[in-house]
Amino acid sequence: MLEISDIRKTFHPGTPNEVRALQGVSLDLKAESFAIIIGTNGSGKSTLLNAVAGSFITDTGRIHLAGHDITRWPEHKRASLVGRVFQNPFMGTAPDMSIEENLALAARRGLPRGLGWALPRTLRRELRDRVSDLQMGLENRLDNAIGSLSGGQRQALTLLMASWLKPDLLLLDEHTAALDPKSADKVIQLTQEIVERDKLTTLIVTHSMTQAVNLGDRILMMHKGRLLHDIAGSERQRITAGDLLERFEEAGRREVDSEAKD
Amino acid sequence: MTLLIGATTVGLILALLSLGVYLSFRVFSFPDITADGSFTLGAAVSAILIVQGHSPWIATMAGFFAGMLAGMVTGVLSSKFQINGLLSGILVMTALYSVNLHVMGKSNLPMANQATLASEAERLAGVLFGLQGDLHVIGWSVGLRDAAVLVGVFALIAVCGLTLYFFFRTNLGTAMRAAGNNPQMIRALGVNVDALLILGLALSNGLIALSGSLLAQYEGFADVQMGVGMVVWGLASVIIGEALVGSSRLGLLITGAVMGSLLFRLLVAIALRWGLDPNDLKIVTASFVFIALVAPSILRKLKPTPVEKIA
Repeated sequence: MLEISDIRKTFHPGTPNEVRALQGVSLDLKAESFAIIIGTNGSGKSTLLNAVAGSFITDTGRIHLAGHDITRWPEHKRASLVGRVFQNPFMGTAPDMSIEENLALAARRGLPRGLGWALPRTLRRELRDRVSDLQMGLENRLDNAIGSLSGGQRQALTLLMASWLKPDLLLLDEHTAALDPKSADKVIQLTQEIVERDKLTTLIVTHSMTQAVNLGDRILMMHKGRLLHDIAGSERQRITAGDLLERFEEAGRREVDSEAKD
Repeated sequence: MTLLIGATTVGLILALLSLGVYLSFRVFSFPDITADGSFTLGAAVSAILIVQGHSPWIATMAGFFAGMLAGMVTGVLSSKFQINGLLSGILVMTALYSVNLHVMGKSNLPMANQATLASEAERLAGVLFGLQGDLHVIGWSVGLRDAAVLVGVFALIAVCGLTLYFFFRTNLGTAMRAAGNNPQMIRALGVNVDALLILGLALSNGLIALSGSLLAQYEGFADVQMGVGMVVWGLASVIIGEALVGSSRLGLLITGAVMGSLLFRLLVAIALRWGLDPNDLKIVTASFVFIALVAPSILRKLKPTPVEKIA
């Protein structure tokens, strides 16, 4: 489904701010798999997600998704294949527009937008049904500005928006990191429900080791712009949060050793 | 009475300007100075075509499309070449000054006896309703031409306002509003934000040029200076309109922009009548916008913050 081969990205090359964010990442993600990306700050987790979503074009390497070579596709074109939820609840919605308008925009993700009504009656009915499925009581506030909602409500709606038209790939970038624990749980539970129901191929970045061991079928650990561990299958079944933390420490130690050698 | 009708007519004509400014400034948060040039461009293109004997309808449409073209250039400079939005507008506005002089061939172009939309309105009133000479409305004597122009302009503004309202509720229009509100979000939903900005600025400047075209035909001449300060004028109307309707509902905001333009023009007409030096008009307008922009935050500071009770 998603094939990434040896992508590299350096930001601000040749300046004192040079950052080699991705240093040769390859990844093969099968259809319907749910992979968790973990890693320390600055390890390139979010950069990898952004590279797939098309926030920037990689320096080298190729990205294939659902049979298309999307390496040079602009972000808005990739959106026809990719659904996305951001870390910041403010990024995924248009705050001054109503809940139903935001959802209507998502209902045409990647489709041409002409002069047809954005909110025809049939769509309105479907909106109401699917919003009431969230069980957040938002179905009676559909004409409220989405900016008046809490972060958790916004993330739940953004998740609904990203998955409205089943995307070939769902990208979740620490989408619960900015939420209080209760809202975070709710959004994670919702994520699981949607991903399982629609059998979505999913890549999620997280800081939470609990989420990492409880969700998905594959754990990818990144360090310094590289994929350090790829944990799947029976190893994935056995692994605990403690094991993951140990591997982080190990990665840190190796770094100290190699610096000492220099 | 003539003063009132004149101010109302000009206020309605300039309502198109405030709709255009609303589109760039409020929908896209794009301070588009192109307006000062495209307002004159609309007037210049229409005036020269009318002087050359073309139908005023065609001349007016041509003015609208010329304005759209100007807005597209600003949009391309800003999105494709990544030039700061304010600077893009300044570049196009400056260039348009020369363009306008070339279009008109001189700095002031009168349309002395040619058919304009104003004379068309008078003719239509005669043909359709058999009206002639002065009208008598509740004891007032009103020139047929003035009345016909006022009704015609009102109808045109209503059509433009409604079209804009319905456009904003289509898939394309909703995406355009989202592109102004949160470009990152709508890009992730598959919309080419650059293309929508270019289209939005084209529409905005088309409306502004249409406003210029109508004003020139109403006053009977186009002048290369007539666009100076029009952005600020439009902004003042939009701000007054928002204060009048006090709501963020789309339909009310559009109505507000029209009402704001009317009210502002009437206020200015009264001020001029009371002896305001016309030379001071621009500084008064600019000061007004300045006050309207800073007043909300000053008022907030002045309001005593509620002290929490310590139990």
